[in-house]
Amino acid sequence: MKKRIVAVCMILSMTAAVIAGCSNKSGEADNGEKKDSKKGKTISIMASQDWVYDAEMELGKQFEEETGIKVDYQIVPADQYYNLLMTKLNSGEGPDIFGGQSGSFDLVSQYKIQDNAMDLSDQPWVEYYDEFAKEQTSVDGKVYGATFYDTTTDYYIVYNKKLFQENNLEVPKSFSEFESACQTLLDAGITPFYQPVGDGWHHVMWFCEIGGKYEELVPNIVDDLNNNKTTFAETNEFKKVLEQVNGLAQKGYFGDNYLSDEFSDMGTYLGSGEFAMSACKAGAIAEIVAASEGAYTEEDFGFFLYPVLDNDVLNEHPCGPSRFIYSGSENAEEAKQYLEYITKKDSIQSMIDNEPRVENLPYDAGQTPAYSEETEKFLESFDKRGVVFQDSIKYLNPQWMEIGQDMVSMFIEDMTPEQVLKGIDDRRATQAEAAGDEAW
Amino acid sequence: MKKSKLYPWYFALGAILLYTALCVVPGIIGIGYSFTDWSAYSKEVNFVGLDNFKKVFSADDNYLGYIKNTLLFTGVTTVAKTGLGLLLALALSRNVKAKNFHRGVMYMPSVLSVLIVGLVFTSILNPKTGFLNELLRGIGLESFTQKWLTDPAIAFGSVMGVDIWRGTGYIMTILIVGILAIPNVYYEAASIDGASGFQKFKSITFPMLKPTLAVTIVLNVLYGLKVFDLVYVLTNGGPGHKTEVMYTAVFKQFSQGLYAEGTTISSVMFVFMVIIGFFMIKILTKDEVVE
Repeated sequence: MKKRIVAVCMILSMTAAVIAGCSNKSGEADNGEKKDSKKGKTISIMASQDWVYDAEMELGKQFEEETGIKVDYQIVPADQYYNLLMTKLNSGEGPDIFGGQSGSFDLVSQYKIQDNAMDLSDQPWVEYYDEFAKEQTSVDGKVYGATFYDTTTDYYIVYNKKLFQENNLEVPKSFSEFESACQTLLDAGITPFYQPVGDGWHHVMWFCEIGGKYEELVPNIVDDLNNNKTTFAETNEFKKVLEQVNGLAQKGYFGDNYLSDEFSDMGTYLGSGEFAMSACKAGAIAEIVAASEGAYTEEDFGFFLYPVLDNDVLNEHPCGPSRFIYSGSENAEEAKQYLEYITKKDSIQSMIDNEPRVENLPYDAGQTPAYSEETEKFLESFDKRGVVFQDSIKYLNPQWMEIGQDMVSMFIEDMTPEQVLKGIDDRRATQAEAAGDEAW
Repeated sequence: MKKSKLYPWYFALGAILLYTALCVVPGIIGIGYSFTDWSAYSKEVNFVGLDNFKKVFSADDNYLGYIKNTLLFTGVTTVAKTGLGLLLALALSRNVKAKNFHRGVMYMPSVLSVLIVGLVFTSILNPKTGFLNELLRGIGLESFTQKWLTDPAIAFGSVMGVDIWRGTGYIMTILIVGILAIPNVYYEAASIDGASGFQKFKSITFPMLKPTLAVTIVLNVLYGLKVFDLVYVLTNGGPGHKTEVMYTAVFKQFSQGLYAEGTTISSVMFVFMVIIGFFMIKILTKDEVVE
């Protein structure tokens, strides 16, 4: 009898909970509906980690206040982003706005942009959009995306001047000097280089960022690779770079946990003085200083170039994370409104003022850039400049994460540098053949 | 035999039609596409014969390694989950104190979403800040700390360990039901004859539990062959390709727009599963008596 009473009570309480749940839900829906009809809709923005800064989310809040359109940011871990995005796009379930790396060629081969994104050529911001950025987000003369990333600077090696001075180290001018500096730091109990491999993308820059140096050392390499007249595996310089990077990993210069380290922790680890170097955008120094809790100032950090192959050519990276409106979006007009909002002069200035990693954006809206003295001095110190390989070589950027995975296999001695390069060539061939590229 | 059937065959027609439309036809279409060059890069779909299959079984590609990983995962997790599940079921089908509480606790992990389990364990197994290494350091066992998910030697073991933790309770529950269904008179008779606990298990519990064990083993094997989500969340196939399994490879091929290669791997796995499932049921139910 007692059990029966307990059972009846439980059934009653569960029924009440279900009814209450339904009632609450329908209440929310009603409220939401009323709000929607009064103010607007919700747009979804899907992007990889680190592509949407807090300052942009702040702009999203202001946008909602002004227009009533809510912005739902869906941030995906970097190592899973592209797979997830393409799965969504390929299955016809894309978000209203999706993030993607610009690059006029890759937009077609990687993102099928003509099918997956809307033509934005008639949008007001296109008039003052930087020409190079416009070119890199356009296909057949139609603008498909808005680059919302500081493409005016790139990733460089950031180093802790204090730690270098304490260990009598100079800025390395060659790879052997860099290795020697790493060894000195390691001997002094400092982990030389914060190399986050956990995200799957950061370590690939060692290989791709020195495009200008490759061009200097191997004449016509860009044309030859793009026209399938040579391969990565056939070119000795590529092998040498992989061997050099692998050497750094094997000698312990990346620390013990580099395979699980993540880029988002870079500021913390450099700010703590536990690591002496890493690779980041010029503007990230402010983040490191903030994480150091007063231990360092911006003057305590400087830059030099990726040192592999004794690199002395400044890397330029005109492409960057951009925003595209999904062709199947039911909220296309609201999404266009959002892009128009974030590319206004005030919004751009707000990004520059509030996000240390953004010193400028590729729009001529009358904003004031925020290049630090150190950055300007560094950028002006180079005569030679070259475009990074992920922007200049066909079918390279789309396999960025796969290269990263193969490089990890190299670090753990599962693959040789030759096999990594062959993997790159094979994937390029697969994509080129699938795309019907006549050169393949 | 036919006369003993209660219902005519056409009572199952609706279910058969639905199953055919939703499972069989897409499956056949999928197998058909694995003989083409279907991709996101071209609107044309051309017949390419066995090219995709050659690639899957080529020593130059990594797929053989992924097949090996998938089979290893299936074997280890099936044996471990079934073994541990059986031990727990035997322990918790007795009159132990608070047995319902223990059963609930053991079953709990299987209720959790794989995604949540993966995210929680990613945090627990972090080499620098994870709970497990912190605990080992805290009790003076620093030498036992590991890079659980990034050390190539143990990453796959960690993934399998998490799956065993998650799935054992489920197997235990099924086996408890099987054990409780065994009539008590057998045990009473055995006790009168002076049989020991082990003898009772060997001669009564195990033989009568075989059909249930067969079901759990087949379920585990099929789950193992299809594993994707846990590997994807914990390691995404890494470090390198050390923990890559067939369905993480399918996912990567599909998301790269190489649909035909993706469907080829799925077709290969489908054939594997049919063959393995068929033989396992045959073997495991060989001595089963239908009353």
